[in-house]
Amino acid sequence: MATIIDITEEKALEVKDFEFTYAGADAPSIKKLTMPIAKNSITALIGPSGCGKTTLLRSFNRMHDLYPGNEYAGEILFKNKNILTSKEDLINLRIQIGMIFQKPTAFPMSIFDNVAYGMRLQGIKNKIELQDRVEKALQDAAIWKEVKDRLKHDANGLSGGQQQRLCIARAVAVEPEVLLFDEPTSALDPISTAGIEELIVELRERVSIIIVTHNMQQAARVSDYTGFMYLGELIELGKTEELFVTPKEKLTEEYITGKFG
Amino acid sequence: MNTTIDRLFANTTKIIALAILLIVAWIFATLLDHSMESLKAFGFDFITESKWAPNLEKFGALPAIYGSVISTFLAMILAVPLAIGVAIFLSELAPAKLKSPVGVSIELLAAIPSVIYGMWGLFYFVPIIRDVFGGIGISMLTAGIVLSIMILPFMAAVTRDAMNTTPDILKESAYALGGTKWDVIKDIVIPYAKAGIIGSFILALGRAIGETMAVTFVMGNVHKISIDLTAPATSIPVTLANEFTEADTDLYYSSLFELSLLLLIISFTIISVAKFYFLRRKRVA
Repeated sequence: MATIIDITEEKALEVKDFEFTYAGADAPSIKKLTMPIAKNSITALIGPSGCGKTTLLRSFNRMHDLYPGNEYAGEILFKNKNILTSKEDLINLRIQIGMIFQKPTAFPMSIFDNVAYGMRLQGIKNKIELQDRVEKALQDAAIWKEVKDRLKHDANGLSGGQQQRLCIARAVAVEPEVLLFDEPTSALDPISTAGIEELIVELRERVSIIIVTHNMQQAARVSDYTGFMYLGELIELGKTEELFVTPKEKLTEEYITGKFG
Repeated sequence: MNTTIDRLFANTTKIIALAILLIVAWIFATLLDHSMESLKAFGFDFITESKWAPNLEKFGALPAIYGSVISTFLAMILAVPLAIGVAIFLSELAPAKLKSPVGVSIELLAAIPSVIYGMWGLFYFVPIIRDVFGGIGISMLTAGIVLSIMILPFMAAVTRDAMNTTPDILKESAYALGGTKWDVIKDIVIPYAKAGIIGSFILALGRAIGETMAVTFVMGNVHKISIDLTAPATSIPVTLANEFTEADTDLYYSSLFELSLLLLIISFTIISVAKFYFLRRKRVA
């Protein structure tokens, strides 16, 4: 029993009968989940703690593979190919599907090296190319003006909001097709949060975005589509303005009106 | 009533804590006091003179200093890469089933009394060194090897602990950019844990330079500077352990005290560098 709207535009990802079970768990944390993700738009995932939204997000770049024993079932299609097979080249997948985490994760290196890191992993050594792309990524992440005079400084000297924008610059620099945001503003103050939200909306032009958030206002502000998850199932997926104004499912309505959470 | 007990308790513990400072100062003062005669007799020449001849009342510490430095240096060269390798394996690569048993074994190894390393070295390594490298087997090289085996578990355990402080989310961020395991270890884990790793090396170095029993068995107590590593040699603590009971003149006795004073100063310096420079609590990022 779920209401999932048809997405007419091109799809960035398609989740089909997806199940995920954590190592040692008896029951799957995500059950038979089917969900289209539209290209060049922002899809928000909302739902109470433990509903599986972060678990789903971390499946798109196979982050769960870092820890042994986790199991996937079903399909996640990316460029018409199921990314859940054991043949999947995870390095290549993660270059195309980037991720931003709950907390800023500046690496213990300079601002420049942080942004150049992903490109260097791909073997790009040309100094001029690196410089150009680092500058462009920092401009895309709206932090260039603040850091251009101290690119050689340790990235850990930046404020939390700046570090998170640095992480976005680092992710954008490798030109991914999809960006996953896992509660990107949960550790930030309201002003930094507004800056990050603005940035996410701008990035939609070039990448497809999926954002997990605890903050329903945030989902309403930034996203085009919103999916509401509950106990490992997708209860409703709709256009954001419709889902928040006229939810089709009773559970969705109860959640967004604050009856539980 | 309660406040009286509190104050009594606070003051008692304060006195006990201050007593530690006092003991350190006291040891230093005692060593200095007993070294006076040698200090007066040789002055600065004590540490540049390479002749140690008790029968001629001539005492130069250079061979012992040289032996301490070289044996420690050898130990570090051998132990550092191994310790890093073991730590990387335990913190990043080992399956969960192996992590705990191997980790605990290493901590147990670190607890073996050093005299046992010395006896084991004498019966196990001395013949091997003799057969493979020549010489009599009792040598600088043997001391370096035994020292490296002695400090390895401590270094590996502390290095592993330092690496384990790397937040998962930081490592995941590097994986999320397409990093391999090796990329993450070399670019994230090691730089993040760098201060703790270097700190553990320096603490191990401090332990090696002051180590007595593990090397007394295998070094030979020969006061002669030789570039041949298979030749017997001596170090400051080896000299002290071997000769203290033989010191038959005041100057001999005082020279040994000056050696111990030197060792104390060297050890303090090393530990201070490690503590204040590398092992300060990491600022929260």
